[in-house]
This record gives sequence, C-alpha cells and structure tokens, in this order.
Amino acid sequence: MSTAQATKNCITLKGSAQIIAEYLKYGINSILFQRGIYPAEDFDNTQQYGLTILMSKDPKIQTFLQNVLSQTEEWLSKNMINKISMVITNAHTKEVLECWDFKMQAELGDGENTDPTKLTTTKELARIQNEIRDVMRQISATVSYLPLLDCICTFDVMIHTLQNTELPAKWDETGAIIIQNAQAVQLRSFSTGLHKVDTVVNYKMSS
Amino acid sequence: MDDIRSSMDNMMAIFNDSITHSAPKKLLFNRLSTSFCDDLVVAAPKKRRLERESPDRSLNASAASLNSSSTDPLGSWQCSKLRTELIETKAIAIQLRNEIDQKNREHRQALMLAENKSAALKEQCDSTSKRYLELQKEVQTLRKRELALKDETRRATEELAQLKLKYDEVVVKLQKEKYLQEEDARDVQLCINNELSEYRRMAQRADLELQSTRSELERLRRRHDEFKARVSGHEELRGNYEKQTQSLKVANDRIQELEFEIQSYNDWKEVTKASQERLASVPDLRAEVERLRSHNKHLNTLIGDKLLLEEQVHDYKTRLDREEGARAEAASLQVKLAHVEQELKEWVKVAQDHCLANTLVSPMALRSRIEQLLQDDIIHVAEKTSSVSDSKHLQTSVRDLEQKCAIYLKNIEDLNIGLKRHKNFKERLQRKLITVSKERDFYKQLVENFDKDMTMSNASVADMTQDMQVRYRVEVLERTVTGYKDMCATLEREIQAMRQQELLAEPAGDGYDSVKKELDTLRLENERLRRRKEELELEMMHRCLRGDFNMKDFKVVHLSQNPAAEAYESSQNMMEKLQAEIERLKRRNKKLEDDQEQRLNETTSTGGMTLNFKEFNQLRADLESANGKMRKMKDCFKAARDEYRDVCYMLLGYRIDRIGANSNYRISSMFAEGPDDYLDISLNESSCLALLESPYSQTFNPPIDQQLAASNFPAFFSALTLELFQRATVTIN
Repeated sequence: MSTAQATKNCITLKGSAQIIAEYLKYGINSILFQRGIYPAEDFDNTQQYGLTILMSKDPKIQTFLQNVLSQTEEWLSKNMINKISMVITNAHTKEVLECWDFKMQAELGDGENTDPTKLTTTKELARIQNEIRDVMRQISATVSYLPLLDCICTFDVMIHTLQNTELPAKWDETGAIIIQNAQAVQLRSFSTGLHKVDTVVNYKMSS
Repeated sequence: MDDIRSSMDNMMAIFNDSITHSAPKKLLFNRLSTSFCDDLVVAAPKKRRLERESPDRSLNASAASLNSSSTDPLGSWQCSKLRTELIETKAIAIQLRNEIDQKNREHRQALMLAENKSAALKEQCDSTSKRYLELQKEVQTLRKRELALKDETRRATEELAQLKLKYDEVVVKLQKEKYLQEEDARDVQLCINNELSEYRRMAQRADLELQSTRSELERLRRRHDEFKARVSGHEELRGNYEKQTQSLKVANDRIQELEFEIQSYNDWKEVTKASQERLASVPDLRAEVERLRSHNKHLNTLIGDKLLLEEQVHDYKTRLDREEGARAEAASLQVKLAHVEQELKEWVKVAQDHCLANTLVSPMALRSRIEQLLQDDIIHVAEKTSSVSDSKHLQTSVRDLEQKCAIYLKNIEDLNIGLKRHKNFKERLQRKLITVSKERDFYKQLVENFDKDMTMSNASVADMTQDMQVRYRVEVLERTVTGYKDMCATLEREIQAMRQQELLAEPAGDGYDSVKKELDTLRLENERLRRRKEELELEMMHRCLRGDFNMKDFKVVHLSQNPAAEAYESSQNMMEKLQAEIERLKRRNKKLEDDQEQRLNETTSTGGMTLNFKEFNQLRADLESANGKMRKMKDCFKAARDEYRDVCYMLLGYRIDRIGANSNYRISSMFAEGPDDYLDISLNESSCLALLESPYSQTFNPPIDQQLAASNFPAFFSALTLELFQRATVTIN
C-alpha cells in the first residue's frame, strides 16, 4: 500500500507556490495587455493552460516580474503572504484607478504528514490548471465591463505579508491602497490543495 | 466483243471448212455456224449490223445453198432439209435473239454498271477535285508558310551574318589578345629562359663545387682508409695489450691463489700437526669425553629436575595467587553471604509479614501473594479509573442536569411571571366583571323599578287616587334613589380603594401597558441594532473586497524599483522639461516681441535652456543647502569660540580681545581692578609680540618691567597675575 501511494504525484508547498507564481506571471501579463497599460506591439503570443496568452516582450517588465515573483514564491512556500495586489495608477497624478487583488489562504492539503512545513496534496495538476484557465478566461472577459483607462497608466505589485516578515534588500514598506468610489467584482477562485487563491478586481467607478 | 468476234471467226472458219470438206455437212455446218453467229451477236450497232449481216449472210448463204441445190434430184430432200434447216435456223435465230436480248440486257446492265462506275468516278473526280482544291489551299498555305519560313530563314541568315560579324570581331579581338598574350608569353619565356640560364650557371657552379667536394671527399676517404688501417693496427696493439693485461691479471690471481694455497697449506700443516697431537691424545680425550658426558648427563638431570621444580614452583605460585584470590573472594563471598542471608531473612520476614497467615513461607507463596496484590492493585486501579470516569460522567450529567435545572428554573420564572401577569389580568378582569355585573344589576334594578312603576301604576291604578299614587311613587322613587346613592357611595369607596391599590401596586407589579411599551421599545431597539449590524457587515465585506486590510497583522511591501516609480519619475522629468520649455518659449516670445531677428538668432543658441534650468534649480538647491550648512557651521564655530575663550580666561586668568584689523590684541586680567586696566599687544609680521604703551602699563613695578624687558611674556603675565591675585586677596582679607 505504501509503495502504491508513493508513486502518486504529490504537490508540496514549494510546488504549490511555483504553480501560483506561474499563474500570477501569466495573469499580470494578461491584465497589462487587456487594460492597455502598454501598447499591443510590446506583447507576444504564448500558449499556457490551453489558452493563448500575450506576454510582454519588454525586458524591464520581465526582470521586474521575475524579481517580484521569485520573492513571492519563496514567501508563499512559507505561508507568509495574505494578499498580492496589482495596482494600476495614473502615471501623472498617482491616483489609483484599479486594484487587482489575489488573496491567498493556506489550506491543509490531504497528505499524511501534519507538520505545517511539510504539507502535501494529491490534487491533480490538470484539475488545477483547468481551474486556473477558467479564471484567466474571466480576466479576459472583464474588459467588457471595466471602465476605460484613458490616461497614461502604470502598474505596481504590492504584497501584503505578515508583520514579522524579513524584508530583503530593495524591498520597501508602503501604505495601503485606497480607491475612491470603489466597486468590487469577485472572480472565480482556484485551489492547489495547499493554497486557495481568490481573485478580486476593485475599480474606481467612473461617475 | 472480242470473244464474240473470235467465236464468229471460229464459226466462219468452221463454215468454210464445212464448205470445203463435204456438201451436206457444209450446209449443216453453215447453218450451225450461222446460227452460232446469230447467237453470239452483241448489242452494239456494229454488232447489230454484224448480226443483221450475219443472218442475212446466213440467209443468203442458205438461199445460195438453196439456189445451188435446187437443181438436184435430191432437191425435195434438200428442200425438206432446207426447211428443217430453216426452221432450225429460225429457232436458232430466235435463240440468238433471246441471247441478243440477254446480251442487251447484260449490255444495259453493263452500261448501268458503267454509268454507276462513271457516276462513282465522277464523284471520285469531284472529291478529287475538292481534294485538289483543298490541296491547292494547303499548297497555298504551305507556300505562305514557306514564304514566312523563307523570311525567317532570311532573317536568320541575316542574324547569322551579324553574329558571324560579331564573332569575327570577337575572334579578331581574341586573336589580338592572343597575340598580346603570346607576346607576354614570349616575354615571360625570355625571362624564364634568362632565369633558366642563370639557374644553369648556378647549377654549373654547383656542379663544379660538387666535383671539388667529391674530390675532397675522395681524399678524405683515402685518408680515412689510412686512418682505419692505423686504427686497426692500434686496435690490434690494444687487443694485444689487453690480452697481456688479462694474462697478467690471471697470472697475478694465480699467484695469489698459490700464495693462499701456500698459506692454507701452512695452516693445514699446523692443523694436521694439531690434529696429530690431538689424535695422540685421543684416548685421553675419550676418557675426558666420557667424563664430560656423564657430567653432562648429570647436569641434564639436574637441569631437568630444576626445571621440574621450577614448574612446580610456578604452579604453586599460581595456585597460591589463585588461592589468595579465592580467599579474598571467599571472604567477600562470605560477607556477601552474610548480607544475602540477612536479606533473605528480611525477605522471609517480609514474606511472612505480607503473606497470608498459616502459609508456608516460600518464594512461590510470596510471588503468589505479590501477584495477588498486583492483581488487586490493577483491579483497584481499574475500579478507580472506572469510578473516575463514572464520576466524570456523573459530573457532566450533573452539569447537564444543572443546566437543565437552570433552564427549567428560568422557564418556571418566566411562567411564574406569565402567571402573575395572568393573575393580575384575571383579577382586573374579575374586577371589571364585578363592576360590569354590578352595572348590570343596577340596570336590572332600574328596569325592575321601571317595571314596578309600570306594574304598580297598572296594578293599583284602580285602587288609589292620583295623589296616593304619586306619593307611593315618590316613596318608591326615593327608596330607589337612596338605593342608588348607597350604591354610588359603595362604588366610590371601591374606586378609592382600587386607586390606592393601584398606587401601591404600581411600583412592584407591572402594568400591562408599560410592559407593552417596554416590549415595543426593545423591539425597535432590536431592529435598529440588526439593521446597523447588517450595514456594518456589508461595509466590512466591501472593505474587505475593496482591499483595505488589517493593519495590525499585515504590512504592505513592494520592490523599490518598480514600473510605477519609474513612470512617476519620468513624468516628473517630463514636467520639469516641459516647464523649462515653457520658460524658454516665454522668453523667446518676449524677445520676439521686443527686438529683431538678430536677437532671435542669439536666443536660438540658448537651446540648452532646459538643461540650464534644471541645473539652475539644482544649483539653487545646492546653494540653499550650502548656506544652511554655513550658518550651522558659523553657529557651531561661534559657540566653540566663546567656550574656548571662556575656558582660557578661566584657566589662565586673562581675557584676550582682538582690536582693530591689524592683529592688535588687548589683554585684561581676571583680577583687574577696573575695565581700563588692559595692555595692548600687537603681532608683527615676523610674528613677534610687542607690548604697546597704555596707561595701565605704566603702573607696573620695576621687576615686572625687567621681565618685560626680557620679553618673556609668560613669566611677565604670570607675575602680574600673582601680584594682582595677592592684591585682591589682601584686599578681601
């Protein structure tokens, strides 16, 4: 019995963090394209999760995302993250126009080990990817009802971590994001067995 | 026709033959031949003529024959024969006619055939003519083509001629080139030839050298041979020499050997001598030997004994050690035994104590006792745990029951309260009922009274008079009125009593209305609170969704180098640039308005205003910061200077002030008597101090003057200080 169980694929915390970091990479790139933060010619087609996703070609954005997401993966594997926010602001007035929140909730998984640092889950990768695909489709569909961003916009990625998290170099602490006259739309959530990710978009209502 | 002619010729021939050969036969044959001739006539006019001619001829012939034969006696036979012949000829003529008809028919058929043939031939001719026309057309086309082809060929030939010309030219060119190249080749060849000749010369030289070297080589070889011969001679000599040396060595060795042998011989001699002597002394030796042997044996036995003894000694020693060890062990064992016996005794005692009475004291009994005790213990523990669990159960059940009791008590209280309320309600209802019943009674009485009145009046109307009736009525009415008054009084008394009761009961009990009011207020409060709670929950959810977070547990971090920051910076830069641009354009505008184009040209050279503006801002900022720093430094310096001067003054007792601009110093003492007691000193260019005249300097004593004269300022000032101090202390004292 034990040998039969051992041959099944188990996802560890690190694997779950990796899956989520990958989802964030593709999600953030998709949002950058859909919301028109950068011009469409800066993007290239790639295939992931059975969808065609447009990824940015700009090396600055790629390195920035690489840095942020590698740190995110590390913190996520230790369950130190509450939420990751992608904030879209007006480049001139610094006003926050939209905030895409990815909320993380730690789950217990279904492995035999109950040590909180060695949790595992046997959820199949294909199922997780299907769930992620649904969320990505929803993100693409949000374009139809989100208000038009007609000024030059820029984005930033902020992470809500525990108070006692050690900050590496180049990372600063900032204040909270407040959107005036905000509307919130909750998208689908997906779970890797060890983390549950909710996606919410808060946008400023254009009166 | 030819056949017919031929046949006719044959017949004619036969007829002639018949005629010639025999007479009767002739006629027959003539007839036959003529019939035969008639038979074979063809349907051509010529032929017909022939036919006609032939029967006529035949007839003529027959007639002639008739004529010829008429004169014969045989004339009747001949006439009959002639008649028969005639008939036969007629028959033959008919036959011939038939044949002629047939022939005509055949002729016609042949004609038809020929016509058909001619038609066919005509058709063929037509077709051939058509074909001929077609072929003519084809021929024409072919001719045209031919013409065209001829044109082409002409053109081709022209082109060919042109090409030929070209190629001829090319050929000419190539020939020229070839000629040139041939010349070049010839030149090259000449050069090569020159080089070759040179090489040949060199080769010749080399040959000569080679020959010379060869001759030298031969000489050398000869010399080499000579040397070889010499060398061989030398080697032979050497070989001889070596052989001789070897032989010498050998001889030396031999000599040595021989010497050794001689020595050994000498030794042997001596040895033999010794052995001879020994042999001489052999019996002595034998005796000696035997003695020694015996001695040896003795010694051996002794040794053996000694060894045995040693072994024994060793054994005994070991045994002794062992026994000592054993003894020690025994002693320890005895001690242990003693201990053990004691312990055993104690154990036995213990067993005795603990075992049941009257049982044999043995370990088994003890064990059984212990087991029994353990079992009892286990049982007790089990009982204890079970009892503990029971007690826990009981406690939980007790708690449950207590809770239930509390609930029931609460219920009971509630029910009591309800009951009280109901009782009060019931009392009030009863009271109300009483009052209502009283009212009813009263009304009943009224009605009875009225009835009585009515009946009375009806009953006694006949008996009484009107006055009597009225008086009776009045009496009755007065009685009813008094009754009513009594009732009113009682009711009023009751009302007062009720009021008092109400006043008393109000604080303790609860009026139904007040309770109701309380209930209403509480309900309203409840609803309000519920609404507020829902609102707050909604807001909380919204805030959660919107992204506000719990400051207490989490903090927000981001990369310091992020696209938003870069965008802000770039927008700031752009803003500054645009402002600079605006400034520049404003100035340019002003200048355009005021002056003319040469100024404009000047201003266009200030294209770097944007950069200057930025630099200007930066410089302004730098200047401000530098000013601030300078101010701070000034303040610091002032404070330090003042402190330093105060410290110096306090430590050394003199205040030094700088007067004027030229290194003039004024020094005044701590113990100076007045503000005018100062000395002026100036610092020269060669940094020498010089005391200047002042009113105070003239009051000094001579010794101090001396020191001054020595220009020993420290001593002077110290002396001055001491003097002033003494003066001051003296005066204080």
